[in-house]
Amino acid sequence: MRRAARRLLWSAFVVWAVVSIVFVVDAWLPGDPARFAAGPQARPADVARIREELGLNRPPLVRYARLWRRLLHVGPRTAGEGAAADRAHATCVDVLPLGAIAVHVDLGRSFQYRQPVARLVAARAPRSLALAAAGLALQLGAGLAVGVLCATRRGSWIDRAFGFVTPLGLSVPMFFSGLLFQYLFAYEWRLLPFDGFGVTLADHLRGLVLPALTLGIYGAAYYARLVRDELRAILPEDWVRTARAKGASGRRVLARHALRNALVPVATAVGLDLGVLFGGSIVTETVFRWPGLGDLSVKAAVNRDGPVIVGCVVVTSIAVVASNLAVDLLCARLDPRLR
Amino acid sequence: MREPGRPKDPCDANARATSGVTAVVLAVAAAAAIALPLGCRGPLAPPVPAAHDPEVAPRRGGTLRLASMGDPRSLDPAGPSDALALQAQQLLFAGLVDFDASARIVPDLAERWTVEDGGRTYRFFLRPGVLMHDGTELTADDVKRSAERSLHPATPNPNASAFRGLAGFGAFVSGRADHLVGVAVDGKYEVSFHLDDPDASFLSILAMHTLRPVCRSAGTRYDDAWAPCGAGPFRLPPGGWRRGISLRLVRHEGYFRPGLPYLDAVEWTFDAPVTAQLFRFEDGALDVLRDMSQPTQARFLADPRWRGLGVAEADRTVFGESMNTRMPPFDNVEIRRAVAAAIDREHYRMLKPAYMSTLTQPLPPAMPGRDPSVRGQSYDYAAALDHMRKAGYPYDPVTGTGGWPRPVVYPLYDQGLLAYTAQVLAQELARIGIRLELRMVSWSAFLALQQREGGAAMSQANWEMDYPDPSSVLDPLFGSASIGPESSYNTAFYANPAVDDRLIRARREADPARRMALYGEASRIICDEAPWAFVYAYHAYDVHQPYVRDLAPHAAWGLDVVHAFVDRAGGDLPRHLGSPLP
Repeated sequence: MRRAARRLLWSAFVVWAVVSIVFVVDAWLPGDPARFAAGPQARPADVARIREELGLNRPPLVRYARLWRRLLHVGPRTAGEGAAADRAHATCVDVLPLGAIAVHVDLGRSFQYRQPVARLVAARAPRSLALAAAGLALQLGAGLAVGVLCATRRGSWIDRAFGFVTPLGLSVPMFFSGLLFQYLFAYEWRLLPFDGFGVTLADHLRGLVLPALTLGIYGAAYYARLVRDELRAILPEDWVRTARAKGASGRRVLARHALRNALVPVATAVGLDLGVLFGGSIVTETVFRWPGLGDLSVKAAVNRDGPVIVGCVVVTSIAVVASNLAVDLLCARLDPRLR
Repeated sequence: MREPGRPKDPCDANARATSGVTAVVLAVAAAAAIALPLGCRGPLAPPVPAAHDPEVAPRRGGTLRLASMGDPRSLDPAGPSDALALQAQQLLFAGLVDFDASARIVPDLAERWTVEDGGRTYRFFLRPGVLMHDGTELTADDVKRSAERSLHPATPNPNASAFRGLAGFGAFVSGRADHLVGVAVDGKYEVSFHLDDPDASFLSILAMHTLRPVCRSAGTRYDDAWAPCGAGPFRLPPGGWRRGISLRLVRHEGYFRPGLPYLDAVEWTFDAPVTAQLFRFEDGALDVLRDMSQPTQARFLADPRWRGLGVAEADRTVFGESMNTRMPPFDNVEIRRAVAAAIDREHYRMLKPAYMSTLTQPLPPAMPGRDPSVRGQSYDYAAALDHMRKAGYPYDPVTGTGGWPRPVVYPLYDQGLLAYTAQVLAQELARIGIRLELRMVSWSAFLALQQREGGAAMSQANWEMDYPDPSSVLDPLFGSASIGPESSYNTAFYANPAVDDRLIRARREADPARRMALYGEASRIICDEAPWAFVYAYHAYDVHQPYVRDLAPHAAWGLDVVHAFVDRAGGDLPRHLGSPLP
């Protein structure tokens, strides 16, 4: 219990540190966010007015204090029946309704989109999560299958083919494999939509296939290599031979003993990957016009949209920390020595 | 049985070497197999044929499908703007006056106007019976309400100060007055604009989108959540704008020009990469291709099947090498003249010939009233060397000695064309003894350096005319009033009382010929003193399918969509590519 509490505190510290660093860097970067919000040809008087309107005239420390003061707070409900149109909470999103009041998340208002950042992030996070989950599922499914196959058939033609297919999978950049899939599946064979998110659930699912495949091919090669190498190291171990000598079938030895141990580093990698993928598969989202957090983050960085940058970092840092926490728990379950 | 996990013969080095070579060969073959479909796709797909001969009369119906790499920032004429937003706003909102295809001011919502009080009052008489998208009739009250909403201090309007000449503007934007006295309702269909001083460019400024009337649902104050609604030829249906994804506008059946527009709808797909746009266009899922790479454009130009299906839009953007007249070495006018004479503009143009035209004076070719007699700047290597000598830094091209003794830092950001033009410039200036140190920075850092006093000695600057009038280019770029310590429009920090005098007099001059003559004089002085070396003007180049008819360039707004129509054989093809639109 104490260990879990310590981990939670440490996680909170990591999120605070990451967000603070990003805030400071954004505040110190050269360039005027008001100029970006107004446009390169806006007149100086108009830029000054817009700077005032966006609150950029306030000192960075005041803005920093506001960020943390407003990040999580309690206020009147802003959505649903009986919601109050309170201007003080115009940029808030309810995360926990408690009768007439609610716990709010407030990440400020985007300079470029002129919408509450919390709403922008809330709309895009599920899309990134869906893409990350689908991509990771493909990576793991294909990676595990190929890795196990190669490790158990060492020296076979499968194993040798693997030797040149995995470097290819790892080295072909995602923007290229994405374009290739677009060309083949959408342009030539007309099986799937070119890109985009669509309107209906069916559109979303169809639109998800190619970006998930692009992510999947890349990661599958990595996971296959990881699983193969781990299993190769484990299979000659004495305890594996002992299990086999005690009469356990080859499949049982592989599944219950060898693979379980090989999955510890895989789980660690998955935890790291999930957080990063959730933060946005920037290239994939751009190539396939998948409106997720990666796409939002890139545009925010280009346009000096500070509130969106910070909002995306808050969400992704929480995602990375949470997935790492989950992985630690999972690893402890897989390997009792880690408890 | 062989033990799993053991190689057959780990000591067989020969076999391992052979296997390595095989792997490399296989890997190269696989990479080639992957690359071939994309890299060597063969000829372009043929155009999708039209249903009728080119002479067919315009017909109603159909949807025009467009795409862009960008994403409009706002559809509200009072809000933040960009080139893409302007295209959509032009279809959603009609103004009292507008520009025709050749950039002349023409009546729009106002059927006529008068200029009174020595050019200080503009009185407009609205067309009766004009219906807004919400079905209400446009009145003079709507014009005043829309103007006050747009110019209110809480509105994030980047063009508000273009209207600073309106009477009472200062009091209104500073919050000292509740209403803008410069806009007066004189009757249900009569509205007048009162200026502090005569301004001959006022009609052009008014033709911008900023003050175009908006529906009563917009209220009196700007609101980000407002659904755009105006009196333009197209309206926004519910859910028509999905930010960052798509925009669909449908015909406004109550549009005041009978029979127009012909199209049922115009659709944009946003954030579409160039390759995806090309695939869509070749497939017939996109009707106009605007964003394309240089090789793709060359393929379209070389393909006889696509001949005659390209539209070059007007040159509305000027590009130049801005020289900070307050920083060495460009505080020396002879050095600036040397730079202006050392640049062979044709070298720039060859980088992207279908999009660029050489520029020798500040006004772009599409500018009405541009004085063709202005000789401007031109390439003259001997003269450039002579100017370097007069500046006190003679350069000997034979020995490569002399010239400006220190490198000049030239900031640039990661934008394809700029990376090329910067290298061209560096080579041109090296020939007169000026060495450039190209320094790549972020876009935000670039703007900060360029627009800050003492930030950058030299940088590339560009300007797209806000409206087709010389004042929209010369005043912001070369008037001393545009100089500021930060966010300076006038990136050369160039101040010349003679130029200021011409610009102020031209603004007040009612006679068009005399006015243009004053702008010609200002242009001559600017070309001679060379705060910029003018290098090229840029225009967009579009390719469209043959069934897109009467899609013509518009000098102010890019393309004229209102008079375009679709004559596609078999009607609209089913969409199998891309995300469906609502």
